Amino acid sequence: MVEPKNGSRGRAAHLMRLGAGLAGSYLAYQLQRPFLAEEGAKERKQALRRKHARQVRDKLQDLRGPIMKVGQALSMQTHFLSPEMIEELSTLQMQAPPMHATLMRAQFKSALGKYPEEVFRSFEPEPFAAASLGQVHWATTKGGEEVAVKIQYPAMREAIESDFLALRTAGLAARLTGHLKEAVVKEAERGILEETDYRKEAHNIEHFRKALAPLPFVRIPKVYHDLSSERVLTMSRVPGAPMARFLKSNPRQELRDTLGTGLTRLFFFQLFCVKALHADPHPGNYLFNEDGTISLVDFGCVKYLKPEVVRCYAQFWSREWVRDPKLFAAIIRVIFGPKVSPNEPRVRRCMREIRSFYDEFHPLGPAPAVLELADSKFMDGLAKLAKTLLTNKFLSPEFLFLSRTESGMCNLLHILKARVATTQIAREWMPPN
Amino acid sequence: MSMLIFLLTFSSGHGNMSILIYMKKTAQKQNRKRPDSRPYQRSQGKRERNKEQTKEKILAAALHLFREKGLEGTTTREISKRAGIAEGTLFNYFKTKEDLALYFFQKETDNLIRWFRAEARLKKAPLAEKLFAIIHRQLEYLEPYEDFIGAVFCRSLQPASRLSPLGLESQELRLKYLRFIREILTQSEEDGEIPLVGDLGAYAVGLFYLGIVTHWLQDTSRGKQKTLALLDRTLNLGTQILKKGSWEW
Repeated sequence: MVEPKNGSRGRAAHLMRLGAGLAGSYLAYQLQRPFLAEEGAKERKQALRRKHARQVRDKLQDLRGPIMKVGQALSMQTHFLSPEMIEELSTLQMQAPPMHATLMRAQFKSALGKYPEEVFRSFEPEPFAAASLGQVHWATTKGGEEVAVKIQYPAMREAIESDFLALRTAGLAARLTGHLKEAVVKEAERGILEETDYRKEAHNIEHFRKALAPLPFVRIPKVYHDLSSERVLTMSRVPGAPMARFLKSNPRQELRDTLGTGLTRLFFFQLFCVKALHADPHPGNYLFNEDGTISLVDFGCVKYLKPEVVRCYAQFWSREWVRDPKLFAAIIRVIFGPKVSPNEPRVRRCMREIRSFYDEFHPLGPAPAVLELADSKFMDGLAKLAKTLLTNKFLSPEFLFLSRTESGMCNLLHILKARVATTQIAREWMPPN
Repeated sequence: MSMLIFLLTFSSGHGNMSILIYMKKTAQKQNRKRPDSRPYQRSQGKRERNKEQTKEKILAAALHLFREKGLEGTTTREISKRAGIAEGTLFNYFKTKEDLALYFFQKETDNLIRWFRAEARLKKAPLAEKLFAIIHRQLEYLEPYEDFIGAVFCRSLQPASRLSPLGLESQELRLKYLRFIREILTQSEEDGEIPLVGDLGAYAVGLFYLGIVTHWLQDTSRGKQKTLALLDRTLNLGTQILKKGSWEW
């Protein structure tokens, strides 16, 4: 390992290690999570990527501070890292292996005061999946209903707090990472900490169950409040297979299109009508069914959007700001904050990138265009956009979640190889300007 | 918690290991003798049981008061009053509050061993999980008496304390715990799960437990979540290291 080059850097690096030692590093865990489950994508140019990946890992090992930035960037954009990169990154982090039955039971009892077998008619001691900050078990309630029980890993909140504490102590966030503003870091911390309280998630589930009722093709679980607490969440089982497994059944194009359209409608309905987003793009959070319905699970990360942000997105989308300098200035104010001038070169650069991506993804025009999302040009366009936004300090907290969800959706549509009339769908619910 | 006492003797040399083996043999001998001496045992048994009941009554009263007033703030008079016995009787059973504490840990160890043997679920579990279950069970047992444990912790580190390792009774308690741990380790050795660790392995687990209790006492996280995470990770680490290889004896 290379010696840190100056004092405070070194101190921060040490702090990071110390903090991670006791409860483990949350960021490290978060880094691995969205990717490890994903299959396929082996046909990529491995050798080159592997070399690049190793360089990144060495850099991170040298300075653990920037891991923050990478962690955030990663959790926002699922598409932009190669499997090789993820593999390398995962070697440097604390793993979050599944809890053994004894620890799982201890966690359950510390949350609900009783052991699972005292509360359920039957309880599967082996977890069937890893979920945000915990693992999920199948169970049957005393009333005979099939449920999924999510149990949190120990000390998740403490791990997150120690990560952020270490980061702040040395002022690393602003100085070393450069690309993220303190406001973004704060927003990320708040959002991540919120994920550790499953009661908050239970609230989110109920909110979405009600709000998404007008979309008949979306299924959302029901919460069992008496079997839930801060660190345990019991929900009804919803049907469906995660993307990787669903694709193995070789679904016909028609079904892919239906599901792709459903995902797109889901996104725009959330954005424009619910004004809240299921903001965790992890592919395992969407379960697909043969009948064209989509089950949505894991509501740990939900972003409730301010009305001006939704309005701003709609204006953004309409591309009228290209001709309207007043509108342009207003959008810049919402996204960058009041201090940034719309004439700055980096601002213009970002907006140019955004426009060219939106022209591809949501082409404006009289005839409704159907997009072939299997085409990799969308993902390349999205990757390019994300890079520009990151290096130009573009991200505002609200847009962080928005772009995270949008690119998550793009990624899913891409894997699904769906054909979707994105522009038409967006217009369906777009508020009038 | 008997490990508190154990810690202090640990540094005094390796003689303990042979004691551990000796105690095991004696226990086996006593087991063999038992059938012949049954009539005597029975009459002795009843008196013992009564004695035991009184002791438990005193302990329950004491623990209640320790929780309310702490170890230092509780007087023996208050304990005997609450237990409904004369203060003189109390002294017949426990000379000092430290003796009471010692009795508390004896109970804890007995309970622990009984519980573990009855827990069929753990018979085939990996070593890390077994040890996790044992230590977690001990912490659960200690949990209602956290302040009391903290006070005992401080006292036991004073050389003149009766909780210090010099008494025979405390030695017996310590060895009982170590034998129990040794038994579990032996099982894993025989199954080929870990290399031979011998008595040293049991001592290491004992020291580890002491460290965990120290952490637990200092842990302000909700539900002592940090201690649980630490316990889980370090046990995994420990068994992983053991699996990688052995050492020269």
